Amino acid sequence: MSKAKTQQPAVIHKVIMVGSGGVGKSALTLQFMYDEFVEDYEPTKADSYRKKVVLDGEEVQIDILDTAGQEDYAAIRDNYFRSGEGFLCVFSIKEQESFQATQDFREQILRVKNDENIPFLLVGNMVDLADQRQVSVEEATKRAQEWKVSYVETSAKTRANVDKVFYDLLRYIGKYKLTPAGRKALSQNATNSSNHPETTGCSCVAM
Amino acid sequence: MTDGLARILSKPTYESEQFVAKLSANGEDALLEMKSKIHMLNDETAQALKKNVFKNYSQFIETAREISILEGEMYQLSHMLSDQKSEMTKMMELSLVSDRAIIQGLKGEEEEKTNPEEENRRNLAFLLEKVEGCSSVVDAPGRQLVHDGDLVELDAETHAQIQRVHAFLLNDSLMIATWIPHRRGPMRYRFQGLYELDGLAVVNVRDTGPVKNGFKILNFPESHMYQTDTAKAKRQWLDALEDTKKKKALRDKQKKEAAMRLAEQQLQAALASPGEADLSKSFTDDKEESVDRDYLSADWLQELPEDLDMYIAQRNFEGAVDLVEKGYDYLTDCPKGPALKEFKARIEHRVKQLTDGLMNELQVSPERSLRGGPRAARRAVTQLIRLGKSAQACELFLRNRSAIIKYNIRQLKFEGATTLYIRCLCGVFYSSLSDTAKEFIKAFPGHYGCYSAFVIWAKQELQSFVSIFKRQVFESKASLSTIADCVLLARGHCQELSTIGLDIEFCLDALLDISIQNVIEETKDQLIEGIKYRAHDDVWRPMNHLTQADCDKYIADVATTGYDLTPYIFDKCFIAITMNSIQFSKVIVTFAEDLLKLHSSEQEDSSADVITTVFKAQITHIEHSLQSEQLKKEHVLILKNAQFLLEVVMDKIKTLYTKYNVPFPVKLQHLSSHYRKLKASK
Repeated sequence: MSKAKTQQPAVIHKVIMVGSGGVGKSALTLQFMYDEFVEDYEPTKADSYRKKVVLDGEEVQIDILDTAGQEDYAAIRDNYFRSGEGFLCVFSIKEQESFQATQDFREQILRVKNDENIPFLLVGNMVDLADQRQVSVEEATKRAQEWKVSYVETSAKTRANVDKVFYDLLRYIGKYKLTPAGRKALSQNATNSSNHPETTGCSCVAM
Repeated sequence: MTDGLARILSKPTYESEQFVAKLSANGEDALLEMKSKIHMLNDETAQALKKNVFKNYSQFIETAREISILEGEMYQLSHMLSDQKSEMTKMMELSLVSDRAIIQGLKGEEEEKTNPEEENRRNLAFLLEKVEGCSSVVDAPGRQLVHDGDLVELDAETHAQIQRVHAFLLNDSLMIATWIPHRRGPMRYRFQGLYELDGLAVVNVRDTGPVKNGFKILNFPESHMYQTDTAKAKRQWLDALEDTKKKKALRDKQKKEAAMRLAEQQLQAALASPGEADLSKSFTDDKEESVDRDYLSADWLQELPEDLDMYIAQRNFEGAVDLVEKGYDYLTDCPKGPALKEFKARIEHRVKQLTDGLMNELQVSPERSLRGGPRAARRAVTQLIRLGKSAQACELFLRNRSAIIKYNIRQLKFEGATTLYIRCLCGVFYSSLSDTAKEFIKAFPGHYGCYSAFVIWAKQELQSFVSIFKRQVFESKASLSTIADCVLLARGHCQELSTIGLDIEFCLDALLDISIQNVIEETKDQLIEGIKYRAHDDVWRPMNHLTQADCDKYIADVATTGYDLTPYIFDKCFIAITMNSIQFSKVIVTFAEDLLKLHSSEQEDSSADVITTVFKAQITHIEHSLQSEQLKKEHVLILKNAQFLLEVVMDKIKTLYTKYNVPFPVKLQHLSSHYRKLKASK
């Protein structure tokens, strides 16, 4: 690995999109990447994207792993999660079930990363279809507070808050990487960690 | 004196000038004396040289012969090697072809399904040829190659190129092999890693940056990124991976269900009969997979299959068997589980190879020289027994021995007298047999089950020996004496064998019985024919030797056959016994002796019959002569002859019987009382 030549910016933040199938993980990713909204739904297997972004005046690379909501195998899911440094946990506000599933994803991520301060954002997608809302803002915010994470509502279709969730997460990752616990957790790909006081705020942004 | 001179001359410090100066100082006579001495020494040395040359000449010839044998073997060896080489290249071509066939087969999935298991195994074999250090991968049962291709490994972070690799997608795992640059020979890749498909996360890397056609393989804590040449190739890889994973999941599920069903059945069975409860318990052990994985992770155990491969390749069979035993010993303590089963299967595969190798060692092939002999066979046999293959070892060992016996017998050249040849034949056969017996006892100690196989083998060998024996002895129209000698030889050897606990004499007798009977009958007929022929011309004249000296000479001559004719001399040069009687007495005694040599308890009656019949024939001749009018005046002479035959000759036969420790037949005894009858009838 040491043979590799660094032609690109050294800082790479690895973001993982998690959530049930059909909640719009890929749509969010594609909107962020290419500024386009894909109407047709095709289940993702596992795609990764990379993009240069300027974050607070600094050029960084974002590496997005768009996982399959339908992945059946916990072992494989673990392998995806282990490679991530920050997580966008997406549900659809018009689907209560997908909101419930976030609990499982959260647990699985914490189990794999073994640090509850791991950069993590709860994302309620499809806010453009608010008339079909099944998950209330309060409900979601409550859960986010329990987890000590932020809750953001987005629309992949209207691009509302799309950049925000990614940039917010990138900032968290950046900060997290500077803490000893984070460095340790991420450099070793996270198996052990200590419960270090974390600066991550729990500012909730609602639409 | 000359010895002293020789010593002086051959001294390392000898200097000719000094020596000559010293000599010449003593004057002419001393010089002349020295000259003659030197001449003598010269002659002696020449002689010695000649002798040495002769001595070394025979040695030279011997050495040359050895060298020529060695040369022959070397030639054979090099021939075999070149054969093997061509075989190897042929195999390589084959595997390359099948390699292509697999990739084509991937497109037509049905084709693949119809492929029998064995073929898939062979397809995997080419991996061994191409990839260094992957034998453990190839070994797992039921493994097949699904897809393979060249890839470029990239750094997952920076996307910089790292190296060229070749990936092999198997039906249950993905093997990555790194490309070895500048390498000659078939090994073009080195084994890098094998990833179980179960936990393998595949990520399609979208073409967002400068890197195109990439995909990632995540298997904590490793993550690798690979790049294909074309988008199509990447699609193929992703599809193949996906497809194979799905198929594997399906298979696993089916297996699990089957296991569940089995467990249920066992549980029911256990409930039905509480005695078998531990059966279901043993099944729960299966779930302790992690335990047995730990158990199997010992370094030496992990390397065991490859070490075995190495030992087998080096023909270090002892080492291999040691290792197998060590492995099995270790594994008996190991909790049972699927991992253990798999591992055992790997070892068993090796054991099979090992057994094949050992069996091959014992196999008799025409081009293989038998020089190795029994000791070489013992080595292989011992290892086979240790592997628990005593039955095969026994069979092969005995087959090997058969070949050796056959070879040795063929080496014998049939020249000269039959007895001589039979003596050699018996020597070779019986010593081989007893060697084998001893070797067998040494090689199979405690394997009593194999002993019966040995006995059967010995009987078979005896049969083939007897067939050769018969051909040489009975079909060559040899005389009864020769035959008797030969049979006696064979029997003697059989008795020797019985000292090591192998009694095959009765078999020999049974095999020879008919032939012996026939030849006795034939001889009897010939003898009677002879008696009749001579009786026809018999004029009952005493032998006239003309002079006393000649007569004495004749008496002495006959005395060597054991008859004392002195009581029958009259008129100094006449003997009252006719030529015919003497002839008969000689023949009948030889015949009796032959019969006694061939004697066996089964033939007791028949041999008594035969000798009585022959004797009777002569007696009948005497009776006829006595009744004949023309021979009336010879009655005294005839009676004297009759007395000679029935008393002296019969006594002689009697002593022979006692000598051979055989009861004198009653019928002959009756015959001996005949003389009195004849006398009375007079």
